[in-house]
Amino acid sequence: MTRRDEKSWSPYVAGALTGIVLILSVWVADKYVGASTTFVRTAGMIEQQFAPDKVKTMEYFIKEKPIVDWQTLFVAGIFIGSLFAAVMFNDFKKQAVPPMWEKRFGPSIPKRAVFAFLGGAVAMFGARLADG
Amino acid sequence: MSPLLYGLITGIAFGFLLQRGGVLRYDRQIGALRLMDMTILKFMLSAILVAMVGVYLLKDMGIVKLNLKPTIIGAQILGGLIFGLGWGVLGYCPGTQMGALGEGRWDAVWGIMGMLLGAALYAEAYPIMKTTVLTWGVYGKITLPQVLGVNHWLVIVPLVFGGIGLFLWFEKKGL
Repeated sequence: MTRRDEKSWSPYVAGALTGIVLILSVWVADKYVGASTTFVRTAGMIEQQFAPDKVKTMEYFIKEKPIVDWQTLFVAGIFIGSLFAAVMFNDFKKQAVPPMWEKRFGPSIPKRAVFAFLGGAVAMFGARLADG
Repeated sequence: MSPLLYGLITGIAFGFLLQRGGVLRYDRQIGALRLMDMTILKFMLSAILVAMVGVYLLKDMGIVKLNLKPTIIGAQILGGLIFGLGWGVLGYCPGTQMGALGEGRWDAVWGIMGMLLGAALYAEAYPIMKTTVLTWGVYGKITLPQVLGVNHWLVIVPLVFGGIGLFLWFEKKGL
């Protein structure tokens, strides 16, 4: 029994190639990859539009400056790379509600939106606490 | 070449491979949490095992150095539990939801907005966390070989074989 559809590669192959990308990143650019700091910096940049003086004094934004850096471009690149692969391999699919969610919670888009939003907020708070 | 350009190129390669591995979907992420579909574990562990061997080889040759995050038991256990609660509801990770959006799963937009809020809330909570949770069980920048007091390859080689054993078991079970 295999759950993999024909359009995807073996997760072992794609994973091992990703491992090589990670090695090259450390070797060539001296960067270990991560994503969640970008959400802190971006949140800081948004808050700066409304309360620049407050952001300047907040300890966490002094530690993680509200700027565009290597990781911001890395996170943007994930979007571009995935879009490119999906189009190239005819695997792009517009989807508002995931099938497994729909089966359990129904097809409502607002319902999915509310829970995905709250889930995202909780997940990021935890990720930052664990420094992941 | 500028660091920003390196970031973009690395991100594109990473996003491409995440998409090709089929690991960006809610159904796969929740499938892993429900122990029904181990695709994500296969992908992640393959990447980790390859990168672990490669980075330590380069380190032994004096080409790269490790960049360790400090171990804070309290923050990592509590943070991990909170992250897991949110992840199990959203069904995307911080980085991978950008890729999910890239392949058309646009409910990732809600997750991205939620994560920006979560990051802003953590920034507000940081001064309190610093005097509480972030002081519980601080061990600094440590590694497994260091704690065990053994050569790093004595940890790496068993982990690689353990990973391969796990893969064989997944395939036998059809997970």
